[in-house]
Amino acid sequence: MIEQHSTKGELAATPIEAQNLLSGPAVPPSKQQPEPLLRQFMGWYGIIGFLIIWQLAPMLGLCDPLFIPPPTTIGADALSLVSRGDLFIHAATSAQRALLGLVAALAVAIPLAIFLSGWLPRFTRFINPLLSLLASINPFALFPLFILLFGVGELAKFAIIFWSSLFPVLTATINGVGGVNPLLVKTAKSMGASRATIFRKVVIPASLPSLLVGLRMGATTAFLFLIAAEMLAANAGLGWLVHNSAMNNYIPRIYVGVVTIALMGLLLSFLIDRLEAVVLGYKEEVKTN
Amino acid sequence: MIRYLCFPAFLLIWEFLSRFKLINPIFFPPFTTIVTTVVDMISSGELWLHLKISLARALSGLFIASLAGVPLGILLGGYAKKLELLLELPLEVLSQLNPFLLFHIIILFMGIGEPPKVTIVAWTCLWPITFSTMTGVSQVNPSLIKSGRAFGLRGLSLITKIVLPASAAQIFAGLRLGLGYSMFMLIAAEMMGASSGLGWLVLNSQENFQLNNMYAGVLVIALAGLVLDGLVWLPLKLWPQLAPREAVNTAGD
Repeated sequence: MIEQHSTKGELAATPIEAQNLLSGPAVPPSKQQPEPLLRQFMGWYGIIGFLIIWQLAPMLGLCDPLFIPPPTTIGADALSLVSRGDLFIHAATSAQRALLGLVAALAVAIPLAIFLSGWLPRFTRFINPLLSLLASINPFALFPLFILLFGVGELAKFAIIFWSSLFPVLTATINGVGGVNPLLVKTAKSMGASRATIFRKVVIPASLPSLLVGLRMGATTAFLFLIAAEMLAANAGLGWLVHNSAMNNYIPRIYVGVVTIALMGLLLSFLIDRLEAVVLGYKEEVKTN
Repeated sequence: MIRYLCFPAFLLIWEFLSRFKLINPIFFPPFTTIVTTVVDMISSGELWLHLKISLARALSGLFIASLAGVPLGILLGGYAKKLELLLELPLEVLSQLNPFLLFHIIILFMGIGEPPKVTIVAWTCLWPITFSTMTGVSQVNPSLIKSGRAFGLRGLSLITKIVLPASAAQIFAGLRLGLGYSMFMLIAAEMMGASSGLGWLVLNSQENFQLNNMYAGVLVIALAGLVLDGLVWLPLKLWPQLAPREAVNTAGD
């Protein structure tokens, strides 16, 4: 269900031509395509404008500063949390939980998927509908079950994050390994490559893009469910920070938690972008339009 | 057809393990017991009540999201190039915000009744719908638009005659993603604060240790998701142009 975020990748490849045709009379081609630099700046102007409106609206009395505190108030609260070291403790606790669950899911799902689709392709086709059913079961509906089985401690949170990020990785890897172009495998075989060589030199490189898609989806899911799990029962972590501040009606701190988690998510997605660029550097971007 | 045999196989194994106490039958009741519970809950009318409430919340959230998301996507994807550049990054940041955390802020404004649940569902569905529409509209073949202009189409008529039909597949894909998201977030919202609905039913059954009812709720949630996604078949049959275009296999190249 987290697949929506994959649409963002397509957005980057927006054909600018079509947009200008819609938006009015033809413009000379030199003016049609803004510089990439300007494009970046425009985005930042958007963020800055958003922040300015957010700052001014409560100050001018357009909205209640109690419910929507201006960014400066939120920043001041964040600073006090940082100086006491609290924010770091919560962020580190959350990051540790999310990464532990994610790494465990990767460690189980990737070898399992490679084994299933590489060695037991018929069995994999047989259980694939079952896997997609399990993947589509709402993990929230299973929360109570996890609590029953694992209590309310760290183990239940780990199990929730593990379970929810397991399936995106598993499905993507199975699709990747199963979808390797047979021509590549046959070519390698005809050149006398052994099974292990084919696996190492053909199957793994060819399924790396899907593996990375799975990694990204798993990471997104892990973060999403981390917060949900921390809200159920915890005494540290960013999800708990927000939940606790909401219960105590300490509103600026809710926003501090929201922004910190968003920043952590962006950092993770940036790191995966870098990894993708390094691992898939051999792939040139294909322009379709 | 044979591939669907895995479902009966799975259910048989579950039934067997639980009946012969190889797994704890209190935590994992046999599948037939769960089905009996579902039937009981249907005949007492309890299930129907919660299902109706949940579906109404999810679908009204989705409806609001599509009313806002499709026009926004058309505007940003096709008409306001500068605005799109300006808003792309802020919108992306907003779409990345964690909906569970936002739920707390929404409760601040809306209290704990129906509006916050519908709002959080609408907020979550808004992003796939908006982004898909933006992508779809911006990928409309320019020569179609040129021809439309040449035939004198302007403004709204250009949208309804050219832009919408040409991007229908992408918009529909966004709506479909939104449909999946709506049920997903709804259950979470109902667990975080509600007194009715399927999410509440599951949580409440767990708190009262009525595990059969809990599993019945989980089963119904899973089935409701499958049925909702299956209903997509109907519009696809009626309007084949909504079907996604040839899927690109990124793995095999």
